[in-house]
Amino acid sequence: MRSTNPYIPMPVEIVKITDEVDTHDIKSFRFKFLNAEDESRFQYLPGQFAELSIYGKGESPIGIASSPTEPGYVEFTVQRAGAIVPGLVTAALHDMEEGGKIGLRGPLGHPWPIEFLEKKNIVVVGGGFAFTTLRSLVTYMLHGDNRPRFGDITVIYGARTPGLLCYKDELAAWEKRSDIKTIITVDKGNETWKGREGFVPAVCKDVAPSPENAVAVICGPPVMIKFTLPVFFDLGFSKENILTSLEMRMKCGIGKCGRCNVGYKYVCSDGPVFSLAELEELPRDF
Amino acid sequence: MLKKTTVNQLSDLASALMEKGTLVAPVREDAGFQFREITDAKRVDLNFHNTVISPKSVFFPQTEDFVRYRTGRPMQEAEPVEPQGKPLILFGVRPCDVKSFEIMDIHFSGTGDVDPYWQARREAAAIIGYAFDLGAPAEPEEFYQTLGIGAADPEGSDIFMVRRGDDLLLKSITGKGEALLTGMGGLAGASADDEKFFDDTVAAGRDFKTRFTCVDAEVITKKLEDLFHNTDFWEKASNACLSCGVCTFACPTCYCFDICDETLFQQGTRRRVWDACMFTDFTLEASGHNPRTKVYQRLRQKINHKYSYHVRKYGVISCVGCGRCTRYCPVNIDIFSIVEEAMKA
Repeated sequence: MRSTNPYIPMPVEIVKITDEVDTHDIKSFRFKFLNAEDESRFQYLPGQFAELSIYGKGESPIGIASSPTEPGYVEFTVQRAGAIVPGLVTAALHDMEEGGKIGLRGPLGHPWPIEFLEKKNIVVVGGGFAFTTLRSLVTYMLHGDNRPRFGDITVIYGARTPGLLCYKDELAAWEKRSDIKTIITVDKGNETWKGREGFVPAVCKDVAPSPENAVAVICGPPVMIKFTLPVFFDLGFSKENILTSLEMRMKCGIGKCGRCNVGYKYVCSDGPVFSLAELEELPRDF
Repeated sequence: MLKKTTVNQLSDLASALMEKGTLVAPVREDAGFQFREITDAKRVDLNFHNTVISPKSVFFPQTEDFVRYRTGRPMQEAEPVEPQGKPLILFGVRPCDVKSFEIMDIHFSGTGDVDPYWQARREAAAIIGYAFDLGAPAEPEEFYQTLGIGAADPEGSDIFMVRRGDDLLLKSITGKGEALLTGMGGLAGASADDEKFFDDTVAAGRDFKTRFTCVDAEVITKKLEDLFHNTDFWEKASNACLSCGVCTFACPTCYCFDICDETLFQQGTRRRVWDACMFTDFTLEASGHNPRTKVYQRLRQKINHKYSYHVRKYGVISCVGCGRCTRYCPVNIDIFSIVEEAMKA
């Protein structure tokens, strides 16, 4: 549910900014709704996204990093774009401080299929800062009310360097828990890094999660996805049990502006979550 | 209900309609006929064959303001521009253009989220369709008949007009149309002979030949799916394409839009504007990735969207055969020829 005019953003205030990585170009922004009715309308599930809206700059579609089990706020992890294409919205957001106000449109898109995931073993695989909606999913599943609804939970998360891992405090907390298996890897460590080194696909092959009653949920840069999907396929995961989330350039977020189609599907309103079986039905146009 | 007037009294008819709401009708301009809001009833002119731009802009204007804001002011002071439908009569629309509204309705208000701007305007409007002279041959670029759209199909119009010599026959098709006709003075009753002429014209319109290859939605969808990765086909088809986008702007069923902010002198407007899949940066992502950097990929997108994706998603071809894309293409790319080639493939 959202306000009746889907093009009008709801005002929110930045209540917390977390600098996630040592390159300082990825930050998490925690927002509080300025209107209580907007907050009650913003009912979301992990895997959905919203348009972050700054008048005079524009809008950016960003996955929701917080979980609905974290009431009172909604959080997004945003990379400052601009290395190749000027990122007006993300640059303006990165220059803002706590107390700043922006707009939010959403929630948009389909979430990870929670009912489908229930009673199954879940393997979450993430790379770099594409871990955001996976962080939402893991947090959701680990909540006391939800944890019994899922089987074993395995998280395999990698970044290029230790400094580029997001949500470091939470990763450390997950590693201490017994009800989740957490495997963190970096492409290349440094002098203080004591953990695993290796690319995500190789680590997945090494960990070799059982396909028995299991679903793999995979998000990362295209190159990671390209090499990780076959690993899970080889492990025996069916194409219906390998899920990922697509990105395309978007504007409206509600399937009207015609921009984000891959074949006959709009990534915004038909996705962004797709199974590998669904993706193979679509033309390679993304 | 069938009524009639004469073509010589067209401006009287227009004046009567202007009392019921904003009248939008074809007028002759230097560059050709265009649908315009009428302030002078004498300017309404039915001697057109096709307007340059389709009447979609009546419901989906080239620019549509969403929000007005001031820079440096808190965002919650911004003022949304709420959708408003004012009573409007869209007069003299060809059946293929009328059909385009039905196709656009499925997208904008029939599935998923409702586009409130489109819906408000559509609900407040009455459409008066028009069968032009069936005695004259079709223009070479037109192909609505191959898509199953008759030259005198009244469906989708609230009132449908047929010309009989110097007479204009007006038949109500919907309740909205009947209410409009009932409330208008200056119209004469029609004879049984007029009724027959009206029905004969509608029937004749179904047989009015445009181009000859008939396009079946299921068949073309499958053909295009099979052809998707045939780069050779698409490179040949798009060889001359300039990526100018005129085919999309003139098209009655192209709906792609951008949402952008324009700020001048601290006053800003967030609005949607027409956009086109023919442009390189249409799909350029912030990362620099762009799935459609090549001309052939974009022309392939356009044709697939109309003849394959739309069929898979909404069950209908998103083209009404009006021929504007072909007529206004600066390098004479004929969309229908590409479809014909795909059918043969």
